[in-house]
Amino acid sequence: MRALILLSPARVSACCLALAGLVLLGAVIPLHRRTLSPEGSGVEDRVLLLPPAPALRAASLGYQGMMADLVWLLTIQYLGGHLTTDRRVPELRRLVNTVVALDPHFVEAYTLGALFLGYTAGDMAGAIALLERGIQHNPTRWELPHDLARTYYLDIKDYPRALHWFQVTDRLPGRPHYVPRFIARLYAQTGQAENALELWEALRESATSEWVKEIANREIAKLKHKAAGPGKDGRTESSGRGSRPLPSDALPAPRRGEGSHG
Amino acid sequence: MRVWAIAVNTFREAARDRILYSILAFAILLIGASVILAGLSIGQESKIVKDLGLAASSLFGAFIAIFLGIGLVFKEIERRTVYVIISKPIHRVQFLFGKYIGLVLTLLVTVGVMALLVVTLGWLVDGHWSPGLLLAAGFDFLALMIVTAVALLFSTFSTPTLSAIFTLGVFVIGRLSGDVRLFAEQFAGPGVGQAVFAIYLVIPDLARFQIGSQVIHGLPLAPADLGQSAVYGVGYILMLLLLAVAIFQRRDFK
Repeated sequence: MRALILLSPARVSACCLALAGLVLLGAVIPLHRRTLSPEGSGVEDRVLLLPPAPALRAASLGYQGMMADLVWLLTIQYLGGHLTTDRRVPELRRLVNTVVALDPHFVEAYTLGALFLGYTAGDMAGAIALLERGIQHNPTRWELPHDLARTYYLDIKDYPRALHWFQVTDRLPGRPHYVPRFIARLYAQTGQAENALELWEALRESATSEWVKEIANREIAKLKHKAAGPGKDGRTESSGRGSRPLPSDALPAPRRGEGSHG
Repeated sequence: MRVWAIAVNTFREAARDRILYSILAFAILLIGASVILAGLSIGQESKIVKDLGLAASSLFGAFIAIFLGIGLVFKEIERRTVYVIISKPIHRVQFLFGKYIGLVLTLLVTVGVMALLVVTLGWLVDGHWSPGLLLAAGFDFLALMIVTAVALLFSTFSTPTLSAIFTLGVFVIGRLSGDVRLFAEQFAGPGVGQAVFAIYLVIPDLARFQIGSQVIHGLPLAPADLGQSAVYGVGYILMLLLLAVAIFQRRDFK
């Protein structure tokens, strides 16, 4: 202590800084690391204790976009943690619904959320409900009816509904070039395998995440495997079990020039 | 001219305040950190950088407005410098307006720095400029001008601690004004509903200046609504300043 008093103020300050660094590295960080749960960061606890959207909205003081982003980051942490372990995500639907309740115009939360709900959580009903909610709030965005059409087309195999939502997509600005071609093929009730392959390839090309690319690659591999098998062409797939084929008499006539562009 | 002299002096005084730099440093740190957070977002970098940036700029701007605004008049009274000023041929109205303009200038510089940082980060992430962000920051600034006027009003008759609590309360209620109206319309009983609705009408509707979400999502903004909000903001500031003058005019400095 006497030695410390004899030091100049600048040296006392330097000594204190050095000691603080030693305490941080020698005690604080090692103790903190020891208290970490085996899962790592306590994401599960934060997910389970996440308040409902109305409470978060009030707590955000109107900075709802920022709150939605924070819940979105938590959703990704939660998803990432499970994708690398048990692939079970029972809280995903609640998390994604919280994000879109906070920011109803967050289109990517609907599309990516629906994709992960459908292909990781196996919750197609949740995926469809999420996309329908997105369409209600964002009627001018083509991505949402397009993804809903894709879900009806590839997963539910409800072709009349898929056609309806592809037609809705076709009327919106910025829609992909292949949509009119799909509508034409749906009317003709052909080319299901080509359509499916094209949809997944388009998703893979536009994907910014490795997780989305992984889903697309998996589905493309499945389709190619099916196509390589005997008697598994596009036509047989379109009239497979559990699918709703397109009743031609129940459909409106194709618009003039439909399918000729793109 | 006298108003401007007081404003410049207030600006210089605020620029020497360490609180200003601490808050600004935290804001810049948070805006910068948004880039790291955005990297974890599956292709949502642009949205997260802009959302966090605008929110940080608005929130820390409000802290600056509150913590510098509450001491605007009180400090002058406490240090007794107000006696020197009002004994000179300066009207109390000029003194208050000068103080207000000085703090607004300080806010303009700090919020401007934060907004430019957000726009630059947005440009780095998107690869193109988003001028809409400056409009959103401008409307946030208008909301902060109201908060400053509220702080100045409380500063004319209350202590800094109470002024900070009152101004923070007005800021929170103002940001949640939509919920206050919803409560009045849907949940409160007839008598309470009317009282809450009256509070809703009197408290500044800060929520109407939040256009960041529309800008970030590329949604259309109605020029008429923007104009109406701007007129509302200017009108509200004028009303608050006149109230502050009315109170300050009646104060007896002995």
